[in-house]
Amino acid sequence: MKKLIYTWVLGLFGLMVLLTSCNKKLGEYNPSGLTPSSVYTNAAGFETLVNAAYTYTRFWYGKEEGFSISEMGTDIWTSGSADVYPQLTQYNNLQGGNTAALTLEWNNFYAAINLCNTGISTIANIPDYTATQKATREGELRFLRAFYYWHIVETWGGVHFSTEPTTGIITTANKTPVETIYTQIFEDLKFAIANLPATTTDYCRATIPVAKAFLARMYLTRGMNAEANTLAREVIRNYGYFLLPKFADLWSMSNLKNKEVVWAIDYSTNLANNDHTTATYPYGHSNGSNNGHLFFRMVYDQVNTSTLIRDIPYGRPYNRYMPTLSLLNLFDEANDSRYSGSFQTVWYANKASGTVKIGDTVAYCAKTTIPVALQSPKYTTYDLAKVYAANGVPIQNKFYVSLSKFLDPTRTSINEVQSARDAFVIRLAEMYLIAAEAKLKLGDADSAAYYINQIRTRAALPGHTAQMQITAAQVNLDFVLDERARELCGEQLRWFDLKRTGKLASRIQSMNPDAAKYFQPFHALRPIPQTQLDAVTNKDVFTQNPNYN
Amino acid sequence: MKKLHDRYSIPVSKIILRTMKLTVILVVLNIVNCFASVYSQKVSLNLNNVKFSEALNEISQQTKLDFAYSKEVVDMNRLVSVSATNTDLKNILDRLLDGTELMHVELNGKIYFGPKEFESVIQSAFLQQQKKISGTITDATTGETIIGVNVRLEGTTIGTVTDVNGKFSLNISKPEGIVVVSYMGYNSQRVTLNGQTVLDIKLVPDITKLDEVVVVGYGTVRKRDLTGTVSSVRAEELVKSPTGNVMEAVQGKISGVDIIRSSGGAGAGISITVRGNRSINAGNDPLYIVDGIQYPNIQDINPNDILSMDILKDASTTAIYGSRGANGVIIITTKRGSDGKVKVTAGTYYGISDVTGYPKPMNATQYANLKRQAYKTNGIWNSTADDAKIFTPLEIAAINDNTFTYWPGLVLNQGSQQDYVVGVSGGTEKTKVYFSFDYFKERGVLNNDYSNRYTLRLNIDQAIFNNFKVGLESQLAYYDQNLRNDNILTVASRIHPNFTPYNADGSLAKFPGNGAQPNPLSNDVPGAYVNQNNITRLLSTAYAEWKPFNGLVIRSNIGVVNASTRNGHFENANTISRALSTGSLSSITNTTQTDLTWENIITYQTKIGDHSLNLMAVTSYLSNRTDNSTASGTGQLLAAQSFYALQNNPSNIAISSNYVGSNLQSAAFRFNYSFKEKYLVSFTGREDGASVLAPKNRWAFFPSAAVAWRVIDENFMKNLSVISDLKLRGSIGVAGNSAVKPYQTQSGLLLIPTSWNDQTALAYGLQPQTGNKDLTWELTTTKNIGLDFGFLKNRITGSVDVYDSKTKDLLYLQQLPTTTGGKSLLNNVGKTRNSGIEISLKTVNVQSNNFSWTSNITYTRNNERIEYLPNGSDIASSLIIGSPVKSFYDYKKIGIWQTANLALATSFGYKPGDIRVMDVSGPNGIPDGKITALYDRMVVGSAVPKYTMGFSNDFKYKNFDLNVFIFARIGQTFYSLYAEKFEPNAIDNGAVCDYWTPENPTNAYPQPDSKVSRQGLPFGTTLGYTDGSFVKIRNITLGYTLPSSLAKTLHVTSIRWYASAKNYFTFSKVKDYDPEGGGSLETPLTKLVVTGLNIEF
Repeated sequence: MKKLIYTWVLGLFGLMVLLTSCNKKLGEYNPSGLTPSSVYTNAAGFETLVNAAYTYTRFWYGKEEGFSISEMGTDIWTSGSADVYPQLTQYNNLQGGNTAALTLEWNNFYAAINLCNTGISTIANIPDYTATQKATREGELRFLRAFYYWHIVETWGGVHFSTEPTTGIITTANKTPVETIYTQIFEDLKFAIANLPATTTDYCRATIPVAKAFLARMYLTRGMNAEANTLAREVIRNYGYFLLPKFADLWSMSNLKNKEVVWAIDYSTNLANNDHTTATYPYGHSNGSNNGHLFFRMVYDQVNTSTLIRDIPYGRPYNRYMPTLSLLNLFDEANDSRYSGSFQTVWYANKASGTVKIGDTVAYCAKTTIPVALQSPKYTTYDLAKVYAANGVPIQNKFYVSLSKFLDPTRTSINEVQSARDAFVIRLAEMYLIAAEAKLKLGDADSAAYYINQIRTRAALPGHTAQMQITAAQVNLDFVLDERARELCGEQLRWFDLKRTGKLASRIQSMNPDAAKYFQPFHALRPIPQTQLDAVTNKDVFTQNPNYN
Repeated sequence: MKKLHDRYSIPVSKIILRTMKLTVILVVLNIVNCFASVYSQKVSLNLNNVKFSEALNEISQQTKLDFAYSKEVVDMNRLVSVSATNTDLKNILDRLLDGTELMHVELNGKIYFGPKEFESVIQSAFLQQQKKISGTITDATTGETIIGVNVRLEGTTIGTVTDVNGKFSLNISKPEGIVVVSYMGYNSQRVTLNGQTVLDIKLVPDITKLDEVVVVGYGTVRKRDLTGTVSSVRAEELVKSPTGNVMEAVQGKISGVDIIRSSGGAGAGISITVRGNRSINAGNDPLYIVDGIQYPNIQDINPNDILSMDILKDASTTAIYGSRGANGVIIITTKRGSDGKVKVTAGTYYGISDVTGYPKPMNATQYANLKRQAYKTNGIWNSTADDAKIFTPLEIAAINDNTFTYWPGLVLNQGSQQDYVVGVSGGTEKTKVYFSFDYFKERGVLNNDYSNRYTLRLNIDQAIFNNFKVGLESQLAYYDQNLRNDNILTVASRIHPNFTPYNADGSLAKFPGNGAQPNPLSNDVPGAYVNQNNITRLLSTAYAEWKPFNGLVIRSNIGVVNASTRNGHFENANTISRALSTGSLSSITNTTQTDLTWENIITYQTKIGDHSLNLMAVTSYLSNRTDNSTASGTGQLLAAQSFYALQNNPSNIAISSNYVGSNLQSAAFRFNYSFKEKYLVSFTGREDGASVLAPKNRWAFFPSAAVAWRVIDENFMKNLSVISDLKLRGSIGVAGNSAVKPYQTQSGLLLIPTSWNDQTALAYGLQPQTGNKDLTWELTTTKNIGLDFGFLKNRITGSVDVYDSKTKDLLYLQQLPTTTGGKSLLNNVGKTRNSGIEISLKTVNVQSNNFSWTSNITYTRNNERIEYLPNGSDIASSLIIGSPVKSFYDYKKIGIWQTANLALATSFGYKPGDIRVMDVSGPNGIPDGKITALYDRMVVGSAVPKYTMGFSNDFKYKNFDLNVFIFARIGQTFYSLYAEKFEPNAIDNGAVCDYWTPENPTNAYPQPDSKVSRQGLPFGTTLGYTDGSFVKIRNITLGYTLPSSLAKTLHVTSIRWYASAKNYFTFSKVKDYDPEGGGSLETPLTKLVVTGLNIEF
């Protein structure tokens, strides 16, 4: 009996040793993870790639990083007291190692491009796409690739360029001439126009007019003015877009999806569908959705805490940016609805206290000097003398006329940073301004004045249309830029406009004393993020942009 | 049983039993020899069919011998026949009993008859007729009786062992000669009898414990034969003063092991590093092995269940654990049952805890003055007449009323710890059982911060045959805890001191003083903040062990660790984190974890002449599976539903689930050889195959080798009486760090939330961290030289180890050029190095009948540094080449710019009142008159100490015992969030600090400035670096054991009462804060005064 048991034990032991030494169990089982080879192989999976390729736009549009790079450091804005990136606003101490905004955009643009490259190079292998679906999705990916490359090439110049997906460990980067990158942008956009549908049921998917509008911008950027004008005109005429009758209506939260919008980032009203960092989406944005409502607001809740407190309609004042005096002076508010349509100048009491009733004026910001004798003792007046010195340098940067385009009274709480406001990327007014600028550059000031007057007619206060009209003689490049500031200020185009027109230096010098103090011509390119420079192994080839060391 | 030797993993009782049997046999042989002449008497008989009684009568007449028998057993009327001439008596008796079940024994000139199995009865009957020597053997240091002590009459084979009460008795012919008393772990004693018949002997522990057995990976080895570096901790050391987590009990008591408790929260964990930090990305936690099974949750283990703890430190001992061994291995062996008297131990303690100190924020006056100064700097405030400019009317009223709220005081309370434990051990020769129950409850210093732990253990050993046994070690740990993790103290330290928590109507204000800070007391409302864990962890191991012949042991272990954790979380709409959001937050997370271990071990041991061999081979299979699910939502209507009705949350409903699994297969061997027990060598090797690595790197081999020389056993040492022990050890080996998490070789996809037309759409982008198909283990090569020594008959013993461990292929999250689309990649690229010296000393300072004083000293000095990173020092992560992994890299504050240095300050771009930092260097390698991030930052400190020391003292006076334990950790820096909490614009309350004003030209803190925020304060971070060196009296315990005579009247074996003061005295440069806490303001460390009772039956 004993012997029998021992035989069994020994036998079992031998078996166990054999079993444990087998190698089969060492494969990895990863049911909750996904890999490209398990997802991007059929139509349903590939759709998720295309959807994802759009999402990287959300790191720029409606985000502080995007605003700081695209609107700041121009003629029209300067730092509020809580500016996080004064180096972008004023060019003081601007470096690749200290400007997280640049790093965030750099990283995400290239992540987006690698995803587009992955899709473009593999879409041919998707077995269950129809030819039309394939053409459409490749058109979208190429449109997006061009769109992302434009941001890169205008921000950093001739930096890394690739149309191939990354495979394996790559620790080098290349420097590609701006011209080469633009060649690809044009090729991609032409492909997109040839393959995209004219309309879509998914609001804000790329379509022919979207690609054409963007290509118009690209042509203008590269000085191909006739082509720019042609495409802008096509977008104006052929796709059912029109200028909204009232400028202020553009910014109503109930009217976001209107016929003036050519392309926008459609932030969902279900905030969970947007890009806020969560445990399941750790690589999202720390604020998420549209944050434009936060940055341009003066600290109205510090004027008089007993009568004016932070509330939802007035927004959460981050006090990051304030307008330059020059921007305010561009507006003829007696005739132009865009001053009141773009800015808030009066704040009313939202808390009764003493003799102050709700609705009484608490703060008033004026762009003119109001004699002290004429200032009301019932409320605080921040007139020119209290905000700007004569040369335009801010005296203080907490209380000022505040951009109101992006306010969102539909937010559910006072401190909610996420707004479902769509971020307009291209709206029809820009097409008029592109057409005007192209015509001007082509020597046709008459046509330029015509396009600008279309914009100004819409902008005119009721009964002031005549006063808003301009003549061909008045049109020059500075006027076009002035008009763009009046129409598009805050809409993340300004830096590109100044760069395109070669006016970055001169307009900063004449209009923005804060930035003029530090601006150098080399600042027309942004510094490459230090993390990128640290990580490349071909450091002698992939070098920092000039003068940033 | 009173006292088992605690070094054994194999049951001690068995050995004792064997020894006892042996002793009996020896006694019998002895007797037989003594009286051999009786049996050899010659007898002549010729009897035919006579009664047995008649035959005996006949023999009695011839030999004059007496016979003894029991009529019930021996049939005197049985008819016998025998015919013999001049034959040995023994032969005749054998023949007379032939065919019966009886036997005869000749004792003391008398011949006994009885059944064969009554041999021992007869013997004892006989023995009582001898001169009886009896006595009790006790431990000279503890006074406890010792079981199983060998007591032997020198020069004879007469001997015995002590019984369960430590008592023995010996029967000898006359009370003369020398009695030798010996027991493993104690110095032997020789007592000359000189007529004494009662001996009460106190045995002195042998401090070197050469025969002590040390647990190493997959086996044990005699300490004298050990070639590697292993620190062992005795069971009584672990329960000397009460602790919730057993690792807390050994802080400072093991050289080379740095143990820090940095949080005072209930159920808080402990951080342990063995010989420094090797890894940057991977953890530096040691591997825990409990009864042969990997079990990471050391806090589950009831300290009273532990028989021994052995810490493997050098590569020759850790390499047997291959890819998991590099951070050191802590092996825990739990208690087993033993046969004999059932032993019940019970203990309880109760203690009150309190913060060791809490740095107070400014009071209302200090705060108001800071704010005034901040505005004075900018000319806005010049006198109290200007108060209205800077304070709200509410604040002015509070200043006038002298309102002052000490917010942290409102949320800090006393905590408590209590514990109830019972352990039972017992069994028969074949079945041995140990089981225990422990209930440990800890209440933290914050309201509703508590942890209840229930631990149940059952260990069974069952011998099926003499050489085949099976068993089970099983532990269930259940936690019911609510952990405060809500930043309440940070908020309480920040909120303005002139606000009050309550509204005029007595209700709790949501934002006191209409300020921006939520009310910390909102979180103290019952049910407002819930963070409840229910954790059940089962660790169960079954084994079978077969010893087919002497020297060969075959063993198989199967262990299962099954853990299920439920975290329920709720914060109502008024809590600190939700006050600024919308509505409540509820979430629930369920996690299930299953670890399976299956190991087969063959050991063969033999000795051929002077050559001793010990061979061992292991096969091992480990699998780990974890899956979890989480659901959360916000804004439910009724706070009372807490986290139990997530479906009632209207918004932000989110769910996720996840699976992680990995397997490890291994084969390992160990080869130990010794020559004359003086020259020892050892080789180990382990081949690990891991699922987490890519196929081409899946298998890796971890070798080690060690040698030792027992110098003391050499002839030339014989005459050096001062030196009583000397052994030299050397080892080298490679171990890995199991740092690679599953799926790191795969590039994954990332779910990106998005939508079309407000309808959720699926979007999968590429994960920024790309997979690395070349991933392999992080390898640590350690060289170690050690010396074990003993002086003055081992009154002083100890060891010194010097080591150098180099880690290569360090797992490092290499930053990729993001132009690749990826951000980072886990790669084997870095190198770190730890070298150091560790000393441990045990001394018997005083040893007398009534008083003894022993000390235990440890000293550890480790030099930790990063040697290589792919892109040089990673400044963003404070990973600096040449410095420890945990370093602080920043500017060096040298004071405050003073008015006298105006010109110099201006040249640097600063003004008097600003922080002045050192101009370390410039582009040309010399100070350049500018402060730049590139050239002027340096390593300003490290969280790693220069050295640590432990000094434990045990005093015994009669029945009193006193332990005083001093622990020192010297040379580390910590980042004090309090010291850094200077608010230049007084927007929040902050530290009480000596700030600069033109009238107070201090060098401590800069000038308050209403236009500068704390974040914007130039070099503000330099304020936080603080010298964290400390010396603390970690523990003082006074105990009293009832004399055994008194205990007996209470029908117990022993009773000990004790009182401890833990963590009561800390000496450091930091005021009101225990620097061991590492700078956090959130979970201050606690001190504890506790009293308890231990009873044994």
